[in-house]
Amino acid sequence: MDLTKQVEEVLYGVIDPDLGINIVDLGLIYNIEIDEKNGVKVTMTLTTPGCPLHDSIVGGVESAIYFIDGIDKVDVQLVWQPAWSPEKMSPKAKEMLMR
Amino acid sequence: MVSNPGLAKKSETNIKLPLSFILFGLGAFVLSQLILFLNSDALSNGIFRLPELLMGAHFLLLGWVVMVIMGAMYQLVPVAFLTPIWSEKLGFIQLFITGIGIVMFSLLLGFNLSHAVYGGIVVICGILLFLWQMVMTLISQEQKSIMTLFVTTALFCFLITIIAGLILAWTISFGLSLNYTAILHSHILLGVAGWFTLLIIGFSYKMVPMFSLSHGFSMKWSKLAFFSYTIGLLSLIVSFWLETSVLQTIGWLFSWIGFTLFALDMIEIIKKRLKRKLDRPFTFSLIAIGYGWLVHSTTVFLSIFSIDHQNLWSWLTFIYIISWVMFSILGYLYKIVPFLWWTYKYSGQVGKTKVPMLKDMINEKAGTLLFVLFTAGVFGLTIAGLLQNKVAVQLFQGTMLVTSILYALSILSVLRK
Repeated sequence: MDLTKQVEEVLYGVIDPDLGINIVDLGLIYNIEIDEKNGVKVTMTLTTPGCPLHDSIVGGVESAIYFIDGIDKVDVQLVWQPAWSPEKMSPKAKEMLMR
Repeated sequence: MVSNPGLAKKSETNIKLPLSFILFGLGAFVLSQLILFLNSDALSNGIFRLPELLMGAHFLLLGWVVMVIMGAMYQLVPVAFLTPIWSEKLGFIQLFITGIGIVMFSLLLGFNLSHAVYGGIVVICGILLFLWQMVMTLISQEQKSIMTLFVTTALFCFLITIIAGLILAWTISFGLSLNYTAILHSHILLGVAGWFTLLIIGFSYKMVPMFSLSHGFSMKWSKLAFFSYTIGLLSLIVSFWLETSVLQTIGWLFSWIGFTLFALDMIEIIKKRLKRKLDRPFTFSLIAIGYGWLVHSTTVFLSIFSIDHQNLWSWLTFIYIISWVMFSILGYLYKIVPFLWWTYKYSGQVGKTKVPMLKDMINEKAGTLLFVLFTAGVFGLTIAGLLQNKVAVQLFQGTMLVTSILYALSILSVLRK
């Protein structure tokens, strides 16, 4: 499996503990880049600036990616632009919130 | 590695600090309910200025509400304002001084009223350290918002409240030829409506959208709500000193308008939520907004029709503190404490292993039952108090005592998860 896919796969395991939905389905992951030295750069956001789970989720992203064999470095870029919106969620996440 | 440090800097406070304030608060809460229960007779007679009731009231307001708010602010300010606490060490020093001061002051109010001022001075030292901490923290906030305005004004009101409180205690101990009634009314108004209400409103603009995952809301009334509410407070203070009933009615009206505008913003936020099923304790905090609005509406009604029955206003103040201020706090604590403990125990394990969800940390069903009991206790107590029915007052205050013990145990149970 290609490394970008592997990173995305492990990020499905990072769950927002308040909503009970993983951060990929929530639409928090904007971009995953892999450089030639197997360094990973993740550009992501949170549902709101000042989310109390800020450190937990960002730390969780780093930890999850380091579990992949051969990863040299993880760089998590937290951005607020473009701002998160409900349209970024997957149909599965939307359905879970409606329950 | 986390880049973009301006936005992604560490925002969590050492949980021992907020948690210590909250645990102190829970103890003071149960103690205050016990004191009020043991003095049910005085409550049913509507005599609120007895030493024992002053002791119970200050354990409730300073020991429980103020300490829990301080603890919550140590956790919420860094995350909501994206600004770390200025000095955690100062936080622990402030916790120690304020805690000792509150116990001293409340006990002196109950057992040695003429020396209460000495306890009051210690409390004030602790609170001034807290205010200094918050000012230094908020100054470093990069982007100010309407929330900053509400919170800084609330902190200013808190400062005036404690100064007025000190003057009252000083007057009791040494005598001062000042307008005691005007100072007392200003102390109560600024403490309850200025400090508590403005603070809860300010944080609600952050917490309600966050807990309901609301999106696309406008907050269009927030500025008007702030100015209307503060104009209302100012009018009321002036009316206490000039003893003008017209200005007092205007004051109640403006504060009602401010609160109503805030409530309208909250309704819009809830309507635009993505999370369909809200957590039950959070719903309880939202219901508290309705209670607050009802009390504000009643003040306008009573003021317009010049109904100034002392007993009625005393119970109205009581019901405002409990049903709006305290119920908001009771609901939010069911979110804050599990979050604090979860962060302490599981935050570092996210992405490495399966961790519990926040709602697994606390028994929400038991919480709902407690909230229903609190509601029955408060409203039953108020009606019994207004009817001056001793047995019913004792029964409902007993309900409050038992429920407060169960509530404290339910919060403590989180720490075993």
